[in-house]
Amino acid sequence: MENKILDINKLNVDYLTERSSINAVRDFSMHINENEIFGLVGESGSGKSTVIKSILRILPAPGVITKGEIRYNNQDILEFDESKLSSLRWSHISVVKQKALNSLNPLLKIKEQIIDTMQAHEQIRTKDAIQRCNALMDLVEIDRNYLNSYPHELSGGMRQRVVIAIALALKPKLIIMDEPTTALDVVIEKEIILKILDLKSQLGFSLLFITHDLNLILGFADRVGVMLEGELVDIDSAEIIKSGGNNAYTKKLINSIPDLSNYNQSKTNKNEPELIHVKNLIKSYSRHSSIFSSDKFHAVDGVSFNVNKNEIVGLVGESGSGKSTISKILTKLIDFDGGQLLFNGEDVSGITKSKDLLAYRKKVQMIFQDPFASLNSIHTVYHHLSRPILIHRLYNKHSKKERDEMVLKESIDILKEVNLSPPEEFLYKFPHEMSGGERQRIALARALLVQPQIIIADEPTSMLDMSIRMEILDLLKSLQAKKGISILFITHDIASACYLSNRLIVLKNGKIVDSGVVSEMINNPKDKYSKLLIDSCESGWFINQ
Amino acid sequence: MNRTWYNRIWINNKARLGIIIVSIFIIIAAIGPIFFEDPNAYIDTPLLEPSFVHLFGTTGQGQDVFAQTIAGARSTLFIGFGTGILVVLLGLIVGSLSGYFGRRVDNVLSLIINIFLLMPGLPLMVIIAAWLPPGPFSIMGVLVFTGWAWNARVLRSQVLSLRERDFVNASVVSGESNIKVIIYQIWPQMLSLIMASFIGATVYAIGAQVGLEFLGLGDVDKVTWGNNLYWATNDLALLTGSWWTFVPTGLCIALVSFGLTLINYGIDEISNPRLLSERIVKSRLPNLFNRNGSTPVARKLFGK
Amino acid sequence: MNTSVQYLLKRLGIYTIAGWAAVTLNFFIPRMMPGDPVSVMFASFRGKLKPEAIEALKQTFGFTDEPLLNKYINYLSHLLKGDLGISTAYFPEKVSSIILSGLGWTLLLVGISLIISFVIGSLIGMIIAWKRDGKLDSILPPSFSFISSFPYFFTAMLLLYFLGFKLGWFPIRHAYNSDLIPGFNIEFIVSCLHHALLPASTLIFMGIGGWMLQMRNNMIGTISTDYISFAKSKGLSQKRIMIWYAAKNAILPIITSFGMAIGFILNGTILTEIIFSYPGQGYILFQAVQAQDFQLMQGIFLTITLSVLAANWLIDILVLILDPRTRK
Repeated sequence: MENKILDINKLNVDYLTERSSINAVRDFSMHINENEIFGLVGESGSGKSTVIKSILRILPAPGVITKGEIRYNNQDILEFDESKLSSLRWSHISVVKQKALNSLNPLLKIKEQIIDTMQAHEQIRTKDAIQRCNALMDLVEIDRNYLNSYPHELSGGMRQRVVIAIALALKPKLIIMDEPTTALDVVIEKEIILKILDLKSQLGFSLLFITHDLNLILGFADRVGVMLEGELVDIDSAEIIKSGGNNAYTKKLINSIPDLSNYNQSKTNKNEPELIHVKNLIKSYSRHSSIFSSDKFHAVDGVSFNVNKNEIVGLVGESGSGKSTISKILTKLIDFDGGQLLFNGEDVSGITKSKDLLAYRKKVQMIFQDPFASLNSIHTVYHHLSRPILIHRLYNKHSKKERDEMVLKESIDILKEVNLSPPEEFLYKFPHEMSGGERQRIALARALLVQPQIIIADEPTSMLDMSIRMEILDLLKSLQAKKGISILFITHDIASACYLSNRLIVLKNGKIVDSGVVSEMINNPKDKYSKLLIDSCESGWFINQ
Repeated sequence: MNRTWYNRIWINNKARLGIIIVSIFIIIAAIGPIFFEDPNAYIDTPLLEPSFVHLFGTTGQGQDVFAQTIAGARSTLFIGFGTGILVVLLGLIVGSLSGYFGRRVDNVLSLIINIFLLMPGLPLMVIIAAWLPPGPFSIMGVLVFTGWAWNARVLRSQVLSLRERDFVNASVVSGESNIKVIIYQIWPQMLSLIMASFIGATVYAIGAQVGLEFLGLGDVDKVTWGNNLYWATNDLALLTGSWWTFVPTGLCIALVSFGLTLINYGIDEISNPRLLSERIVKSRLPNLFNRNGSTPVARKLFGK
Repeated sequence: MNTSVQYLLKRLGIYTIAGWAAVTLNFFIPRMMPGDPVSVMFASFRGKLKPEAIEALKQTFGFTDEPLLNKYINYLSHLLKGDLGISTAYFPEKVSSIILSGLGWTLLLVGISLIISFVIGSLIGMIIAWKRDGKLDSILPPSFSFISSFPYFFTAMLLLYFLGFKLGWFPIRHAYNSDLIPGFNIEFIVSCLHHALLPASTLIFMGIGGWMLQMRNNMIGTISTDYISFAKSKGLSQKRIMIWYAAKNAILPIITSFGMAIGFILNGTILTEIIFSYPGQGYILFQAVQAQDFQLMQGIFLTITLSVLAANWLIDILVLILDPRTRK
């Protein structure tokens, strides 16, 4: 029997409201052995962050632990007083969080933030502390000179390494990592995960790794727990979870892992005419490296591509690749600095008159990433749907009554098309009264009402729960086929791009690094980066070179 | 959640107290002056102390202080609220244009806003008011001219951040005109800030107006709160010890401003309830809760 | 440091434009007003000044029949030489020398009260936000906002009346005992401080609330940030988190907005000086208003504007030093 370092038994956590309380975590039990990697998986809101904050007792109000035990080395953390807790924190259990920039105090040097951690727990002379800082920097492979820098002077990957260095500062037995790589691109993600595994084998600690990315954790965890709505619904060795686990929800999650074998095999019809054509597109921003100084950087740096009629093109890139800038340029939300934008062969680069813009928007519509943000919280569904109808149809000749009837009829028809039923009920709902998937359908309906020739879909599924993503992708696919429109599908997720698109374009740092028909891209990607993206769909991808 | 906004303001203690105070003064301003024929009339010996005959005593000119205090409310509050509305309107228009259109429009308007903010308010008011014929509309004009920039700046930054939100982008993409986007999509989202700005501007207008009149830059023959204080110092209230000639008016000014400030507190608490969750835990678990301490464990209370 | 210098030059540019705008306003305001107030002004000189002197004034300040542009240039060149004209209230003294005589007093009053109220207000704000435990937090903010609802000069009148006039603890007017000859000796300095105490207390008393509320709100904002919760999980002491993590971050935006606040503070100072007959800019401005001395009023407006602009530039430099994110 292995030695349990952390043992959680029937933990219950409530969020108090004025009169009652919300049970955020219910009867949560698990343990972590010495030197083990435990992966805790769940969608946002499943309660995984609540659990780890409860372990350290840093869950802010209105959170209250109402039941259970959390035993560390056989002592119940829930019985600890403040002084015992502060000696437990960091010298025994430390944390690495998702947003490294936000974890670091912007006004203190890196050195000061490592040393104060040491000095809070042990008597140590500054000279010795600096020596240990140097050793830590070597460990995470950052130049020692950065000890005298401020957080904003480091890149995202470097900051995350600094936070890991701080977590290692007191050689804790258990390190909790809360989505430590989510904000990073795959290249950096790979480096960081490899570094963590390397450190673990050097120093020997247990790791509690929290993530929403089941595929990632299955690559290196010993055991995995799955959370759903505050409960641990499945817990087992990584192999068993990988093969479907012991629960229907685990199976659903496993099935929703992007699977490249299920890619879109229909190729583009070569005879379809070109709809959108961009040539050598350039857009630069002045980047504020500090609030006073700025230097130009090219968000989009000489990009050329085309989208044909009746075609779905996937534009794949990670955050910072320039893909959102392209979507805003194509929808004329922002201007660009160089290159050309052709629509139906006509140069629309410089149109500024409101009449021309209106005509362009009649043909080009957009769906946004976050359906909650793209609907105005103070307006009903009816308002959102009626505006495009009133703007783009010539209903002015009709009386107000006739116009209202026509708007109502069209709204109901479109709600049926995006599978929201009964449509009459949805018409007078406010955005907060609907689920994420329903809101995204409303956003899609609003775009379709304009009767455009192309829809620019900017990460339309990334804010949705994994289980709903496929439904939205299928809806997009069927509506595209039915209406014969084109879609430019912009995403960071190469698997869903392969599922939906006829053709792929891979974007990195504002440049196109690869493009081609989906099957070709999957089987022999021409570029190293796009190969890494394709590989990242396999679990354990970061270990194979 | 489903309460309307005025309901939510009303159930907030601070806001409710503020609304009651301000309403009382508005009622006084509306109907009070009816009861006094001419508050400037000489009615008794100058500088009588407060008594049952003259509740607040008499001024150095033998006028009834109570009558002057009541009568002064009308002009002061009228100019205060009127200026508040104009200042917010101007600030909203400039701020919206600047924040929404950005770039060159923003560069020019922001520069103008900053210049107005950098010029010291009271001396600027003085040099303008000194040249103008004295009267309520001159004062209103001066206050609007020197006071709009602060609101424009606050409202601009709100518009700037709303401008980046996707519901605004979505509205633009669906073909809505800029003016309609501003009016129907952006403004309704910033109602509480507009309301707070209006109240803040009114507080400013009352204070600055009283200050100007106190300097003798108003129409000194009119009965207003500022003029009451001007005449009190002019008649050497401090040296003669006749505190009653300035205390009632000063208290009224403070009460109105305080009432308005309370309403703003209420609006702020409602629109960003920062400490709400701590307050809930504290009221439900008074013995366990420690503000900067660790998460409370309440196994005995909840567990079985 | 190159970008910092660039930034400071850019700010200096903005302040120069603002200064120019103030000067231009000064020039145009009398000319844009309804009802020919300029004639009214010169009419008020009659009897006080010789006709030749009035003519000379008209020449210097461009109230002649010359084209507007010439007058404007003429006006600017006089200003650049530091010539603000001649006061009618203190005839025949120069406006510039009257203003200079009061500048020191105002700086003394504003300097002392600003520093003290800022330090005390921020400290109280920091503590009540960190504790946010009830008593202090439920008493201080509302009572200070009640206090700041009073007009400055009204509070000054109350203090002067009760502490100065009734109780006789403080002198009720002027900046020092007029029997003394100004000089650098203990007796004179003590007299100055004694005279400044009541007006300064008024300003401190009225000012604390604003700083306190700002600091409290900013602290509450920083307390919910990730780096505070990270610092807590690192097991740092409460004191270290409060001062070096929360307060340090909370105070920067206040210092950044300090420049804008100076204008408000000066308004209060001006009115307070008037009540205490304290011979600074405010009191002189009051004399000028009473005597309809337009040259003096405009001179004071320009002086105060230039001081505010200079203070803003100093604050820009301070922020540059305090916030590492602004340096490169």
